[in-house]
This record gives sequence, structure tokens and C-alpha cells, in this order.
Amino acid sequence: MPIVELQNIRKTYDTKVAVEGLSLTIEPGTMFGLLGPNGSGKTSTIRMMIGMTVPDSGAVRLFGQPFSRSVLNRVGYLPEERGLYKKMKVLDQLTFLGQLHGLKESDARKRSRDWCERLQITEAIDKKTEELSKGMQQKIQFIASLLHEPELVIMDEPFSGLDPVNAELLMDTLIELRRQGKTVLFSTHRMDQIEKLCDSIALIYQGKLVLSGSMREVKSRYPRNRVQAVFSGDDSFLRSSHVADARVYAGIAEITLHSPEGAQPLLREAVSCGAQIMRFEVIEPTLEEIFITTVKGTPEFAEAGGRLAEAGGKTDA
Amino acid sequence: MHNVWLIARREYMERVRTKGFILATVLIPLFMAALVGGSAFFMTRTKTSSHIAIVTSDSTLGHDLQHQLETGKDNQMTVDLLQPSEATRAGLEAQLHTHAAQLAGYLWITPPAASGERPNFAYHARSAGDISTEDAIEHGVNAVMTHEGLLGSGLTDAQIKQITAPVEIDTSSSGNSTLAFGIAYLFFFLMYMVIMLYGMNTARSIIEEKTSRVFEVLLATITPDQLLAGKILGVGAVGVTQVGVWMIAAAALAASPMAMHLAGASGAHGILSAAQIGFFILYFIFGFLLYSSMAAALGAMTNSEQELQQLNMFLVIPLAFCMVMLFPTVRAPDSTLARVVSLIPFCSPLLMNFRTALTSVPAWEIILSVVLMSLTIAVVIWFSSRIYRVGILMYGKKPSLPEILRWLKYS
Repeated sequence: MPIVELQNIRKTYDTKVAVEGLSLTIEPGTMFGLLGPNGSGKTSTIRMMIGMTVPDSGAVRLFGQPFSRSVLNRVGYLPEERGLYKKMKVLDQLTFLGQLHGLKESDARKRSRDWCERLQITEAIDKKTEELSKGMQQKIQFIASLLHEPELVIMDEPFSGLDPVNAELLMDTLIELRRQGKTVLFSTHRMDQIEKLCDSIALIYQGKLVLSGSMREVKSRYPRNRVQAVFSGDDSFLRSSHVADARVYAGIAEITLHSPEGAQPLLREAVSCGAQIMRFEVIEPTLEEIFITTVKGTPEFAEAGGRLAEAGGKTDA
Repeated sequence: MHNVWLIARREYMERVRTKGFILATVLIPLFMAALVGGSAFFMTRTKTSSHIAIVTSDSTLGHDLQHQLETGKDNQMTVDLLQPSEATRAGLEAQLHTHAAQLAGYLWITPPAASGERPNFAYHARSAGDISTEDAIEHGVNAVMTHEGLLGSGLTDAQIKQITAPVEIDTSSSGNSTLAFGIAYLFFFLMYMVIMLYGMNTARSIIEEKTSRVFEVLLATITPDQLLAGKILGVGAVGVTQVGVWMIAAAALAASPMAMHLAGASGAHGILSAAQIGFFILYFIFGFLLYSSMAAALGAMTNSEQELQQLNMFLVIPLAFCMVMLFPTVRAPDSTLARVVSLIPFCSPLLMNFRTALTSVPAWEIILSVVLMSLTIAVVIWFSSRIYRVGILMYGKKPSLPEILRWLKYS
């Protein structure tokens, strides 16, 4: 039973189509990445998922039932634009947000302290939010979305604005949550971040789903036909019949093959023709490359004038 | 309901703890006390206590006038009685021009040329602006002249006292309209002040959440109407707390001997009935909720304090309309006009309450007014929560009227 199921949802604001015919499913216990450039409809999709807005058409199902607000206490949400009450003390703030998610006051208070310890911000507990650094505020917001131990954690751009140490800390926390059987969905436009994190992904562009599936599936759809070679000496192997395209930089060649099977024969050729091979690596396509390739193949890309991200910045905020 | 309560409680606790709230709650009653005490102090001090001289050859007139000015109802003057001569005039003039002397002026009475005519009074003052002394002298002279005139026409002292005694009209049997009017005004200004202070605070708190973006976390679990209702109740409770403290302070002040002294005997039948206090509280709370929900709607539509300022006339106009309708209502509280207008939800808090003080309003009208106000509050909240959600999640700008109407259709 999927935890989240979007069926052909569509949302328009006046003349602007924010999301168009989007369907996706998120299986329990997975780490799911919702990817897309700025303005592609990630936030709009998430908002429909948790009932902040209602799709114009299509259906949203959470925990195997049609959407109802009663399940929202099982969902934790970290919005993209962080917001906390500036004048409130951290502990009061967390307790309040915990109570809004259905916790008892004493439980909310205790869990808030525990989480502050876990994320190494105990010194902030008695301070007002406005006295804290941005990174700390972000951690507090992060805690606020997890206090009620949600089964589904939705995080919109969770790592933006964090230094690498803190980003790592939060990433570890998310991994730990998944290990506990929670489902984690996060959106990002930084594809490199999620390559190692996500089990499944969905790529959206201009409000439409362009690619989805498990990470392995997605990657396997894109051939491993690229090779990076560091060498010296004879470069005649670069003109082999297996090679579709080759670019040579200072001692490094980036080679595109006609097919993935050409890699081994090419290596043999290179060695036999006397080139000194220091490194010969078959490169997996990165998500970013997959994304760009996919997007470039869509009609919307041409309509958008060949731009990946929306020119006007965030209009769907 | 639990969510509304949580929002309201947070709002209340956070506001009540601020220094601004504590200061205003304590300082305003102190200020009121100072005002009442101060005016009482000046009231006693404004009994004219200047030092003047009366120059006359008619010693009866002179003595009567001296007596009147030194011991009369509003006077505590010091009066020297002098015989007219050039030397006296020169001496008095010299005194008026010395700073050290206390003399405020002198009254020179020239006897009438023929008997039966009035004497001529000339007052020479140190300062042309000393109006209160001039007034006191004028009144004194008038009283003395009338008294002497009446004595001259053969009346006794007792008869004169009877004729000149002030008349008092007793209105206690028909209800005290001055008091009712006073209450209406008090209520009006209280409402106005509280709406401007706390209604606007509701709007501000909504705008603040928009700018700090907290709303998005909140909306992940609660609905916009719960959020708005919580805010109206929370900020409202702060207002009720503060006004309550002020009212208690005012009641304590009114019961103090000083205020009793000021109000005098007329304050005796000014005590409100329990029913009137009940209506006052009922309509105050409903009026407050109604106008706060309007303010919440304005807050939902705007994104900054400046934009809000431009819209606050929407709160002032209905209040001003009530004020205009106050006059026809006081003249004929049972007229169709008064009955209809007092049922309009925006006017009920003021006008229906006012009518309950003036006449016996049928119970169904009171119930209907409460029902209509409750419905209006619900509709306004529903309306604003839609605007709030669509507006906030969609754009960062103030919507135009056609846009607002279109948004109402969005889900």
C-alpha cells in the first residue's frame, strides 16, 4: 500500500499552470526525492499532498485512503520558506508546534529537549528565536516537523542554507528515520545531494512529471556509455570504431561510446596500441545529466525557450 | 476546536507577557486617576481667590459686594474697601504696577448721577487676561444689585432667597437620558479605542505571520479558519483583559471619596442596573469579536502594515454610521428606523445596547441581534480564510476586488 498516491492532479492559478497531470506513488519506508528546477511545481505538489491547497482535478491519497485532514498528525512537514515566531522562546515554540500536531504539552516539552540534545543545540533552548543563527533556526524547524514522530516526513529543500557539517547531521537524521521505517519525501533542486540518499525519485519540469521510478531503474534506463581515461602516449585508440565522440583535455579524455559494450574492447585497443593508461573509468550518468537529457527531449523545453528554470524566479511561492 | 484554543492561548500568553501590555495596563489607570485627581484639585483651586480693592462712597453696596466676593458660593477673594479719592487711585495704580504687590485690580464705583439709576462700575485689572476675576466680580455685582433692587421693592430676605434659588428638574422616574447618553458615549469611545487597538492587533498579528512565514507550518496541521478564529479570540482576550483591568480600576476610582465628592448628589441615582451591565458586557464582547473578524479579513488581504492602514477606514465607517444613527435612536428608541438599524450586525453592539438602556426592547429583537452578529462573524471568518489561503499561497501582492471574488471560488 503506497503511503502517498497522486492521481493525475492538476492545479492552475489564473493563467499559470502550476501542476499538470501529475501522478506518482511513494512506497512506505523509502526515501523519495522530488526533483526539479526552481518554479517547476515541487512546492505546489507538496502543498496539495498535505491539503494546504486542493487540486483542481485528480485525487490525492495518503496512507491508502482518500485525503482527509485527520491523517495530518501522521505527517511532518518542513516548508521551504522557514518561519518561526521570532519573539518566542525556542522551547515554548517547539512545544506549541508539537501540541498543534496533537501532542500533550508535557510530551511535547520532553521530546523538544531530547531533540535539541540530539541536534546539538541545547544552548538555544531558553533563547528567543530571533537571537539564533539561521542554521540553528533551521534545525529548530527541522525538529518541529519531527516532534510528533510522523510516519511520513515531507521536507521542502531541507538542506538549503546549511553548512556542510549541519547538512550532514540532518542527512544522517533522515537516514536514521528511514531505517526506523519512516517514509521520507524531500524536494530539492540540488540533484547531486540526493544521488546517494534516495531510493526513488520523480523529476518534474514545468509542472509535469518527466521521469520517475527507483534510482536503480532510472539509472539503468540511461546507458553507461561514457568513459573517462587518463593516459599518456599514443592516442590513436580515441579514433576506434567504438568511439562516438571524444574530447581530450590536458591528459584526460572524455569519451562517448556507441554502446556500453564498447568499453572493454576499447581498453584492450588502447593498451595494445601502446598508450600508458593511468585510469580508465566507465562513468555512470549523474542525475543531473539524466535530468538535462530528459528535459531537453520534452516539448515544454522548446516552449520555455530552452530554459531549465523559470526566468521569473519563484512565482509559485 | 482544540487547535483554535491552542492558537488563541499562544497569542494570549505571548501578548500578555510583553512589557508594552503590562505598562499600558498599569499606566493608563494611573493616568486616569491622575486626570480625575488633577481636575478635582483644579476645580477647588479655580474658586476665584484674587485680591482686589473696591472703591466706593456707598458703604452698604461696598459691604454687600465685599461679603459676596469673599464668602459667596464660588468665591474666596480678598477684598479691601476704600473711600474714593485721588490719593486712593494713585496708590492703587502704583500697586498694580509693582510686581511685589498681590493686588489683581480694583473696582471703582461711581455713584449714579440721579437717584434710581444704576451706579457706574469700572474695573482696572493688572492683567487683561484675568477673566475669572472679572467674571466673579460681574456675577457678584449682579447678585448684589438684584438683591438690593428686590429689597428696595419691599421684599424680605427670605422671600428673595426663595425667588433666586435654582430650579432642579427630577427625571428619575423616566430614566436618566443624560446618563444613558453618557453610557452610549463611553461605550462608543471604549469600542472605538479597543477596536483600533486590538482589532488592528489581530490584523497585525496575521500580517506578522505572513512576513515571518510561520503560517506555512501552521497550515500543515490546521485550517485557515481555525487559525483566524484562534487569533481573533486570543488577541480579543488580551483586549478584554486589559479593558477589564481598566474598568475595575475605574470602578474603584469612582467609589473613592474624591470622585463621590465630584459627582455630588446627582451621582446618587446614576447606578446601573445589573441587566444593563449584562447587556453592556454581552454587546461589548460581540461587537469586539465582530470588528476583530473584520480586521482579520483586512489582515488576510494585506501584506504589510502600510497597506493595512489604508484599509482601516472599513472599520471606522460602520462605527461612524452608528454614531450618526445614535441621534434618531435616542429621540425615538421604538421607531421602525431605530429597530431596523439596531439589528444591523455592525450597529447592534452600539445601538441595541443603547436601546436597552432607553426602553424595554423585546427579547426576540435581542436574540435576533445576537444571532445575526454570530452569523456575520462566521461569514466574515469564512470569507477571510479563503482570501487568506489563496492569497498567501499564491502571490505576494494585495489582491484587487475582482481577484478576491475569483478567489472565493477556489478551493
